[in-house]
Amino acid sequence: MRKFLRLITVPLLLLGLVANAQTRTIKGQVVSATDGKAVAGATISVNGSKVAAIASEDGSFAVNASGTVTLSVKSVGFSGKSVSVPASQNTIRVALTEESSQLNEIVVTGYTAQKKKEITGAVSVVSVKDMKSVPTGTAEQMLQGQASGVSIIGSGSPGEGSNVFVRGITSFGNSTPLVIIDGVQSAPGDLGMLRDLSASDIESVQVLKDGQAAIYGARGSAGVIIVTTKKGRGKASITYESFYGIQTVKQGNVWNKLDPQGMADLYFLAAKNSGQVDANGNVVSGQYGTGKSPVLPNYLKYGTKSGYNGAVDLTKYNNDYSKGDIFLIVPANKTGTDWFHELFKPAPMTSHTLTATGGSDKSSYLFSLNYFDQEGTLLNTYLKRYTARINTTFNVKNNIRFGENLSVFFKDNPRIGNNQEGNAVNNTAWEQPIIPVHDAGGGFGGTAGSELGNSSNPYANQMRAKDNKNNDWQIQGNVFAEVDFAKHFMARSTFGGRLDNFYGFYHNYRSYENAENGASNGYGEYSGFNQNYNFTNTLSYSNIFKENHSLKLMAGYEVLRVNGRQVGGSRVNYFSDNPNYLSLNTGSPIGQSNYSNYYNQTGNSILAKIDYAYKDKYLIGLNGRRDGSSVFGPDNRYGNFWSASAGWVVSQEEFFKSIKFINSLKIRGSYGILGSISNVSALNQYTLYGGSGGSSYYDLNGTSSSTVMGFYATNLGNTKTGWEKDKILDLGFDASVLNNKLDITFDWYKKSIQGLLFQDQAPAVVGVGSQLPQVNIGDLQNTGIDLGITYRGKINNDLSYTVGANIGAYKSLVVNIPGAAGFFEAAGTHNTGNQVRDAVGHPVGAFFGYKIAGIYQSTADVASWAKETDAAPGRFKYVDVNHDGVIDDKDRTFFGDPNPAFTAGLNLGITYKQFDISTVIYGSFGNNVLNYTRYFQDFYPQFQNAKSIPLLTQSWLPTRTNTKYPIVENGSYFSTNGVINDFYNEDGSYVRVKQLSVGYTISPAVLKRYGIEKARVYLQGANLFTFTKYSGLDPEVAGSSVSFGVDYGNYPPSKTFNVGVSLTF
Amino acid sequence: MKKYNLKHIMPAVLSLLVVLYACDKSYLEVPASGALSQDVLANKVGVEALLVGAYSLLDGEGSSAGTGNGPWATSSSNWVYESVAGGDAHKGSDPGDQNLITPIEQWNATPANSYLDQIWQQRYDGVQRSNEALRVLKLAKDVTAADVTRITAEARFLRGHYHFDLAKIFNNIPFIDETITYAAGNFLVANGPALAKIEADFAYAYANLPETMSGVGRANKWAAAAYLAKVYMFEKKFAEARALYTTIIANGKTSLGVKYALTPHFNDAFNPAKKNNSEHVFSVQMTVNDGTGAANANSGDALNFPYGGNTGCCGFFQPSFSLANSFKVDANGLPFLDESYNNVPLVSDMGIAADKPFTPDSTTPMDPRVDWTVGRRGVPYLDWGLMPGSTWVRNQAAAGPYEPIKHVFYASQIGTFTDGSSWTNGFTAVNYPLIRFADVLLMAAEAEVQGGGTLAQAMTYVNMVRSRAADPTGFVGLATGKVASPTNYKIGLYTSFADATYAMKAIRFERKVELAMEGHRFSDLVRWGTAKTELDAYAASEAKQGYLSMTGVKFTTGKSEYLPIPQAQIDKSVQAGKSVLTQNPGY
Repeated sequence: MRKFLRLITVPLLLLGLVANAQTRTIKGQVVSATDGKAVAGATISVNGSKVAAIASEDGSFAVNASGTVTLSVKSVGFSGKSVSVPASQNTIRVALTEESSQLNEIVVTGYTAQKKKEITGAVSVVSVKDMKSVPTGTAEQMLQGQASGVSIIGSGSPGEGSNVFVRGITSFGNSTPLVIIDGVQSAPGDLGMLRDLSASDIESVQVLKDGQAAIYGARGSAGVIIVTTKKGRGKASITYESFYGIQTVKQGNVWNKLDPQGMADLYFLAAKNSGQVDANGNVVSGQYGTGKSPVLPNYLKYGTKSGYNGAVDLTKYNNDYSKGDIFLIVPANKTGTDWFHELFKPAPMTSHTLTATGGSDKSSYLFSLNYFDQEGTLLNTYLKRYTARINTTFNVKNNIRFGENLSVFFKDNPRIGNNQEGNAVNNTAWEQPIIPVHDAGGGFGGTAGSELGNSSNPYANQMRAKDNKNNDWQIQGNVFAEVDFAKHFMARSTFGGRLDNFYGFYHNYRSYENAENGASNGYGEYSGFNQNYNFTNTLSYSNIFKENHSLKLMAGYEVLRVNGRQVGGSRVNYFSDNPNYLSLNTGSPIGQSNYSNYYNQTGNSILAKIDYAYKDKYLIGLNGRRDGSSVFGPDNRYGNFWSASAGWVVSQEEFFKSIKFINSLKIRGSYGILGSISNVSALNQYTLYGGSGGSSYYDLNGTSSSTVMGFYATNLGNTKTGWEKDKILDLGFDASVLNNKLDITFDWYKKSIQGLLFQDQAPAVVGVGSQLPQVNIGDLQNTGIDLGITYRGKINNDLSYTVGANIGAYKSLVVNIPGAAGFFEAAGTHNTGNQVRDAVGHPVGAFFGYKIAGIYQSTADVASWAKETDAAPGRFKYVDVNHDGVIDDKDRTFFGDPNPAFTAGLNLGITYKQFDISTVIYGSFGNNVLNYTRYFQDFYPQFQNAKSIPLLTQSWLPTRTNTKYPIVENGSYFSTNGVINDFYNEDGSYVRVKQLSVGYTISPAVLKRYGIEKARVYLQGANLFTFTKYSGLDPEVAGSSVSFGVDYGNYPPSKTFNVGVSLTF
Repeated sequence: MKKYNLKHIMPAVLSLLVVLYACDKSYLEVPASGALSQDVLANKVGVEALLVGAYSLLDGEGSSAGTGNGPWATSSSNWVYESVAGGDAHKGSDPGDQNLITPIEQWNATPANSYLDQIWQQRYDGVQRSNEALRVLKLAKDVTAADVTRITAEARFLRGHYHFDLAKIFNNIPFIDETITYAAGNFLVANGPALAKIEADFAYAYANLPETMSGVGRANKWAAAAYLAKVYMFEKKFAEARALYTTIIANGKTSLGVKYALTPHFNDAFNPAKKNNSEHVFSVQMTVNDGTGAANANSGDALNFPYGGNTGCCGFFQPSFSLANSFKVDANGLPFLDESYNNVPLVSDMGIAADKPFTPDSTTPMDPRVDWTVGRRGVPYLDWGLMPGSTWVRNQAAAGPYEPIKHVFYASQIGTFTDGSSWTNGFTAVNYPLIRFADVLLMAAEAEVQGGGTLAQAMTYVNMVRSRAADPTGFVGLATGKVASPTNYKIGLYTSFADATYAMKAIRFERKVELAMEGHRFSDLVRWGTAKTELDAYAASEAKQGYLSMTGVKFTTGKSEYLPIPQAQIDKSVQAGKSVLTQNPGY
């Protein structure tokens, strides 16, 4: 950004030089007062004239002046200085004092850049150094804990997207902020552009959180993350950065599962509790025999027999459908298979980056290559990514610049369906320990056989998935041109976008080992592209009138387009499973399927911005934007958005000068009206018809294998749907105190989402098989505070430290949902119905169901309580919320809130001589997690899969009454697992040491003989410690904004140990 | 350098921006992709295709409506709401699997049970697809008058069907005709009894549909007649029903012109290789391997197959003890109309491990239909060999020893009548017979008794059904060719119906055993007014025989007859602070 400013000022100053060529030349050098090093790029202006110059690489400059003059010297990162040069003096050395305050940081606030001290809005400036210290393959995950008011919820799955919410969830649908990288805007609701950005290419990250984002109009409401990539500068250099690490896996019995004997005992306990015994009081089991107590069998399956203890003829074994009937011989693993650790193993992670950079006044370049390779701790999941970037700028003449930023990457990233019921993570919990990974014939073991449940062998699944590919290559970047003219004007034109091409294929194997096996093998392929671009033209005017009045104007015009296309197909019944044989052509055409679809959405906008400052003391900013979008009907196609902000730099006032311990203080406020269109599809306004074989064709002729073409109304349109208007009020201050050592930024905000765009909730009689349109459906409100603190301490020349902390807290509230009953239900599962209710007067995403008052201890206890279906001793006693003496639907209530009371990030850095130590700690406090994984593990009748230890050791019995676990029964009841209740609700608070590293910078003297300029080596641990009460795998549970904080089976993050090096040549 | 003047530049640039912006309005007009507009469809071909779209929801899926719980909540056979709730079958599987069915089985579902919302959505989607065909038909110019009449009649037949399913389950429903649309905003329609309007739709269809149609899957005049007569039965218009049934039995034909008749063998009505035969009055057509990933198969029943073999998945829909016992007959081969069949239950392998010996009962006289209806250990199971017992049962202790048969495919039909592209073989091309001729005969028998006919004619109808079942060439084992039939089959004909009460008992029992597991039982019991006595006895008997889910369960008269209106729909139908939908009594 420094470069950018310099580019603007050079031609202006050169203009001045041309005009005043008849006096003496003052030559000089600008250096840093701290270390005496040259300050390249400082601007030197002669007061009272238009003469100015730029210091070159070695800090030298020359200006022409006559008589005694005062030179003003400024450079980004330094305090400005004025020096008087007598008429007799022709040379001068100016030492500038480094400014450590963040107030001089350059912040991109939408189409323009400002110094932080000039800003009147709420902007989080991320410490890129701290952010990059977190080793992960997805840039959005690095942001966690780095910016107040920005919450990131990720997972351990390599390459997996995270939830990113700026100041809380602001929609029942997509709450994803707008991402802008080098001026290129993301497609609505899509973080993909940020996700695969190579960390080493990032120069700066800023997050606009308040009304000021109105300059992005209809897309700014959920916040704007602005990323600038590195530009070339200085003399040519090459940097090599690399790390290698091992991701470790949580040890122990992570799912708290019973061992094989425990499972057998539990089976007998449940049968006895349920009275399911024969006339002799014996329990009958297909695996554990008939008797009073279970006996573990030798074989889980021998042909058609379960629980087999006889002789075994291995020649009968067959697991190949093409060779006749399946005959499995599956020995029992009496010591127990540790499924989690069969799947999750320590995995390496490495990254190599090579960056070449350089620049002069005429041009600059940056070229970087990155290879990132993270094997997932879960078998056959990984992210391999190869990135190349070329950023260049060229100065043509004095007033014309053009350049480009371009990044290309390829990635191969097979993943599991994270946080989805039935994924590989779930199956490690569900698969019983008595099942062996491999059977006696070398095939896979599984749930085939009595009483083994219905999970599928996750090891087999992941091994079979090893040839699946999920490939993606993308180009993203922009080209731009800038022209300065008429002294105060700059015109800028930029065209940028992203082209994302993906393709992949997958194999379905016909399994034999499970209780539920697929009917055939299969193979499918898919590919497609997504692209988005924006073409932006702006004109800026900047001037200072009468020294005290600074005015900046900007107006622009922008065109946007988002489109894409996908195609895919599959066939089944392949003759061979050999991956080399499989293509779509080689499968059976019977049962083949294919699809394609495409989408297209356009927008255009005009925008304007005014910033005015009087004496750097009173600041006013106004911006406005008129957006047009193809997603709305003709009558609502355009929407107007605006914001106003003001700042008062109190510390500039005379009366404040006496307050010494406060170096600067700015009070600011903003109000704006913004929007969001992430939840509106391009088809929203149209009533449309269509059909497909599966949805509307029908076999009128009774053929059993073919259908007749049919259509239906696929979409019900709504042309009345209009723009969401989100009002954001923000009040805050920025202060630097204690000799600029401590910076504080504080904001209070109220974010009112009005006319929230969400799918209409019309009753089913309208035909809800047709896609209902998005309409303006309700109002939300988030009220909160953001606090950021940075302290820089220096104990002596050898020892210095920094502390950065940020805290974000908000209160979420659904204000209004007109037309319906005042709520929406969400996050349903087919087992229990909906778990989440967004209701007026409650936070977004609140958990909803029955509250448990305790466990019925006796029939007398049952009789004395409200009438409850299935009530019996040992089962849950629900709270009669409405006191009507009956426990029914009306007694459901809100029992949990996934929104944290606050989140906090802490960055610590210590430098001692050549050593540096840094850590990033993140915490989320006061949020609930609905641990739905317990549904399967903590309730006996919920499939006969593996169960948790407390079911055997702590579940209710007449003799064991002081417990939270209900009686174990072979029956499912309203009073146990039939409905969602607060048994699943847990405190999801946690604190995590995201990274802790120790680095050593090798002294330049040593390096010089090897031709190395700088070298640093470091040791690092990531996710070293996590403190939480949460009983599941990990409290950080990413979901969608509608199932926020519901744990369906989440790929846990790994504790990682890295060693890294950074070399500059 | 030339001096520019601010006064000129700013206005010039701004006006340029405004011009660019104004010119670009067309840039925002993006046509819809991958879809058609109404005007493209407003012609004969388009309307016919919309009609097919309305037919296509008969199979219980294919729509995004009602998919939240899986297609089993919206199965065309209504197995959850009719057969499980009516005591033909237990839910089956592990107790916690699809446990939203359990409260329905226990007649105490709450309005928030999402199964109810699912079927409500799916059936109304069918209603609106039927209406859409009617609406666009009015816009089409190239349709002949005869086709307008036929298309209208077919669409109204389908609309009648979808409403009727809902009326059986919920009783008080909003009737949605073609004037009700999302766009018009007039969709907040109050609910109430709807049989009169449903009757009008079927009456129109009966009056206007041709006898023969271009496809066997289409509703013809006689399908409409049979459905209309069925509605009459629910309305207790027995005389009208009797007259109509008499006409249907005399003149009825399938859409392809085949005269209605019982097929030679009982199982022919269910065997997909023999579908759409003379017994088919109106069936839901199922297809497999049609490139849709089994989306047109009988997905609603895909869970309802034995577990642990190759027969499919999931072990749901297990015939009840009482149903199996109901097939016991007396020395004359007649059923125990006094309900004493449960007194000494049929010997089953309940509580006997598969590796322990078990011999099926070979002495108690049994109606041969039992083994085409209830899969029991040691007896031939279609062509799969002998049913092996608990290795085919998912959780015998919790859900009983029996397995369903009627909608199950033959082992020899894998790949031809099962879909190869899905996660189980249980996606099949086995049609669901919504009305088959045996149903017509037995309803006609009821109408004879209650609508002014003769007991003799009623008995003739019942005996027609029994005679077919008595044909030894249609017995299990012989029919499948692999093993000998059990020897204790016995089925006799009624020789006299002493009085109307006896006749009704006999007819009702015949419906139970002939149409068992076919999705008719619960609404039959409600229609007859015998639900409370029958079902309370059923619950007590099942609990006694080891099915714990029915322990202490009671039917509540005045409430349990109908399921509650889905709470979600009540909540979405609020007008001026009050829902236009009224909850059913007792909820």
